[in-house]
Amino acid sequence: MIKLDKVDKVFPGTTVPAVDQVSFQVDEGNICVFVGPSGCGKTTILRMINRLVEPTGGDIYIKGQKVSDKGVNPDYLRREIGYVIQQIGLMPHRTIEQNVALVPRLLKWPEDKIKPRVKHLLEMVGLEPDEVAQKYPHQLSGGMMQRVGVARALAADPPIMLMDEPFGAVDPIVRGRLQDEFLRLQKEMKKTICFVTHDINEAIKMGDHIVIMNKGRLVQHGTPMEILSNPADEFVKDLIGSDREIKLLELTRSEEIVEHTDEIPEVVNKKDCFIQAIDPVQRALETMMKKDSDLVGVRDGESFIGTISWEDIKKHINRISGDQA
Amino acid sequence: MEFEMERFISALFDRSPPHAVEHLQLVLIPLTIAFIIAFPTAVLLTRRRFIKYTDRVMTFFNMGQTIPPLAVIAIFFPFLGLGRTPALFALTIYALLPIARNTLAGLKGVPQDVKEAARGMGMSEWEMLFKVEIPLSMPVVMAGVKISVVLTSGTAALGALVGGGGMGAVIFAGIDFFRAELIIAGTLIIGVIAIVLDRLLTVIDNILTPPHMKT
Repeated sequence: MIKLDKVDKVFPGTTVPAVDQVSFQVDEGNICVFVGPSGCGKTTILRMINRLVEPTGGDIYIKGQKVSDKGVNPDYLRREIGYVIQQIGLMPHRTIEQNVALVPRLLKWPEDKIKPRVKHLLEMVGLEPDEVAQKYPHQLSGGMMQRVGVARALAADPPIMLMDEPFGAVDPIVRGRLQDEFLRLQKEMKKTICFVTHDINEAIKMGDHIVIMNKGRLVQHGTPMEILSNPADEFVKDLIGSDREIKLLELTRSEEIVEHTDEIPEVVNKKDCFIQAIDPVQRALETMMKKDSDLVGVRDGESFIGTISWEDIKKHINRISGDQA
Repeated sequence: MEFEMERFISALFDRSPPHAVEHLQLVLIPLTIAFIIAFPTAVLLTRRRFIKYTDRVMTFFNMGQTIPPLAVIAIFFPFLGLGRTPALFALTIYALLPIARNTLAGLKGVPQDVKEAARGMGMSEWEMLFKVEIPLSMPVVMAGVKISVVLTSGTAALGALVGGGGMGAVIFAGIDFFRAELIIAGTLIIGVIAIVLDRLLTVIDNILTPPHMKT
């Protein structure tokens, strides 16, 4: 869907490339997260995809079409791509309704189509249309503004979304909620999303695919599981942090390591120590600690399918993280 | 110098009104021309292609205000002669700077994130200018226009020195004939003109100011 081929960017007046020979591909319907320290070139990559920045070398393709082709008008290109930034950038002199309707109006949609669309979008991002539509941005809270920012980017139903730290300006609690809601939305929308963050936890949570950048270069890319279980170098290891194993447990479903058995061990029954097969292994660990047990029962819906022991989890961590301790 | 109430009233209501009309013209005509020149020029100077000329052009506008209007008239005397035209010309040059400077400041003050988002949404340069940048810079631009109005209202009194008419004619007659009544009446009316115009512009300003910037 989106393809970068050896893309370079050297900003005028500098010699060190901000983006250096970066190639990768984002598949349709995937969330691809770019993560790395500030100045690593992740935002520049995003801005090159919608041509807010022109690359100095290499090519970018969207659906096989080169974005730098003469026939592509950058303004029209951007109207087909949703764009969310950390600072949100709502038009302060326009109502929420007018802000959300911005791109449909640029695309000259008929007015009778825009009104219901705005209402639908505001509901979709969890806002009450009757309450906020006629308000101005400064009358809303930070979290609400972020929601409006997402609604505005979705307004013309673009197949592609570029999101630059979209939940960066709100407190951690609101951020967590916005992330959850966005993932729920994405399940239905199936947009192709490029997402920039400096927070590896957000990357692991949001990404189908993670691209790790450092000093303009692509250091490693892969699924969150691939990156956690097999970090390419010390930089990636540092970025992931010392709780790599815990993060792995968040990403592994209990059914992947369950020891299948039909009999419910007595200790499990007595302590009422059960989890669901689709729960992350981390939940198994929490349950063990809470119920003071070395063994948890795993259920798939109502039916019992097996157990996970403390030993199983340790073995799993060792196997997957590659440390044969 | 003595002061007679009767003469003062006569100066105020018989002698002044025709000059007040002239004075109003000496303020409004230069102001309109100055706006027509300074506003688009300043807008152009914030466009990427022309940004490199900003310093040079602003130096020119600055000069317009540092040179005394009388000197401007003197410099252009060989071409424009005496009368209304050189007065209007000098006052126009005088009014340029505040409008140009505030337009520049207003456009530069438009929040970067709003511009970034507007561009990212796919607004063309023209759409950005007319839907985002100009509306958001209007309060600062209008502040510049108001400064120009007040400035020009006072300076226009000098127009009389070159035969341009206006309230200056009354004031200078007062100075020449030692008539305090004329001087005070003339000054008073200039003050009233300045205040009325300023109030009028405040009303326009209120209409143009985006809702979120209103206090």
